Amino acid sequence: MSCEQVRLQIGADPGGSAPDLEQHLQDCETCRQFRAEMRTLDANIRRALERPPASAGTPPFTASWRPWALAASVLLAMVAVLAVWLLRPTDTLAREVVAHVQEEPESWLARQQVDAQSIESALSGAGVKLDLTSDRISYAQSCWFRDHYVPHLVVQTAQGPVTVMILRNQHVSARRTFHEEGMSGVIVPAPQGSIALLTRGGANIDAVTAQLQQDVRWLPDAH
Amino acid sequence: MRNSQPESPVSSIGERLSGADPRASITQLFESLRPDLLRFAHWLARDRSLAEDNVQESLLRAWRSRDTLKDRGAARAWLLTIVRREHARLYERKRLELVSLDEALESQAPAKAVDPEGDLFTLRNAIMRLPIEYREPLLLQVLGGFSTEEIAGELALSSTAVLTRLFRARNKLRAYCGMSPVPDVSTSEAAP
Repeated sequence: MSCEQVRLQIGADPGGSAPDLEQHLQDCETCRQFRAEMRTLDANIRRALERPPASAGTPPFTASWRPWALAASVLLAMVAVLAVWLLRPTDTLAREVVAHVQEEPESWLARQQVDAQSIESALSGAGVKLDLTSDRISYAQSCWFRDHYVPHLVVQTAQGPVTVMILRNQHVSARRTFHEEGMSGVIVPAPQGSIALLTRGGANIDAVTAQLQQDVRWLPDAH
Repeated sequence: MRNSQPESPVSSIGERLSGADPRASITQLFESLRPDLLRFAHWLARDRSLAEDNVQESLLRAWRSRDTLKDRGAARAWLLTIVRREHARLYERKRLELVSLDEALESQAPAKAVDPEGDLFTLRNAIMRLPIEYREPLLLQVLGGFSTEEIAGELALSSTAVLTRLFRARNKLRAYCGMSPVPDVSTSEAAP
C-alpha cells in the first residue's frame, strides 16, 4: 500500500485495521503518527456527537455568565445581521465561488506540488486542458459546483496562493471583480464559460489571470 | 394531525404498553431508540424542530412497515435508515430554508478552543459546518455504526467514494480544529 492509500484508509476509519495496513505502518513513521492523530480526533468526534447539536451552540460558560452571554449573543446577532446586510454579495456567482472556497479551507494550506496525473484528473471532467507548469499548482480537485464538476486549483505565486475555478458552464458578459469574506477576486469571460480567481492576500491576481487566459485550452466536447 | 392517527406508535404509547397488545413490545423497542434517532436526525438537520418532525414521521413509517422487520436486533440500523431517507425527503422540500442556515453558520467564525470542553465545542461547531455530503456518511458511520459498504448502499455511492468522503470529512475537521490537514487523496466518486 502507498502512503496515500494508507491515509485514505485511516482517514475513513481510524479504528480500522488490516494486515497490509499494519504492514505499511510498521515501516512508516509518518503514517503511524497520522493514525495516532486521527484516532485521537475520532475519539473526540465520538464524544462531540454524544450530545445533540442543541447543546453545541452553547459555549461552556458558567451559569452566572449566561444572562450576559445571552445579551451579548443578541447584540452580536444584531451586529452580524447588519454586517451581513451591509456586506451582502452583489454577485451570486461570485458569492457561490467564495462559499465553495470557504468549504475547502485546506486548499489554501497545501504547499506541495500536485502531480500531473492529479491535475489531469481534476480537469478531465470539465473539457479543458492546462498548459501551466504543474510545479506551481499545489491543489487540484474536481468539485461539484452549480450542477457540474469544475476544476478547483490553487496556484502558488511569489505573493501567495491564488485559487482558480474553471467554470465552463458559467458565462459572464464582462470581467467582474469582487471582495467578499476577506477575499479578493475576479471572474473573467472565457471562450467557453468563465474563469474565477481568488486570493486572500496580496497576490498579483491580474498576472495569474492573464497567464490562465493564455494557458487554458477549451476542448470542443466537454461532456 | 399526525398524532391523531390511530396507528401512530407515538400517540398512545402508554395505552399500548399497558395492555396485552402483541404490538406493545415493538412500540417499546421503537420508543427506546427514539433518543438515538432524534440525536441522529438533529445532527443531520442541524435543527431541533426539523429533527423532531423527521423522527415522528419516521416512527410512523416504521410502524406501518413493522412487519418487514424480521430481526429486532437490526431495528436500530433499520430505523436510522428510515430517518436518513426521511431527512433526504425533508431536505429536498426545505432546501431553500436550509441553505439560509448554511449561510448563517458560514458567517460565524470558528470557536476558539480554550480547554477540553472548549475543544469539543469547537469540534461540534466544525461538524455542524461540514457540508451534508461529508456530514452524512460520517454520522452514519459514527452514530449509526454502519460499515463502508452499508453506507455506500444507502447513499448509492461506490465504496471508494464513501472512503473518500469519510477521509475528507475528517480532514476538514482537522483543518477546522486548527490541525494541519493532510494532502487530499485523488480518487473518483463514481456511483457503483
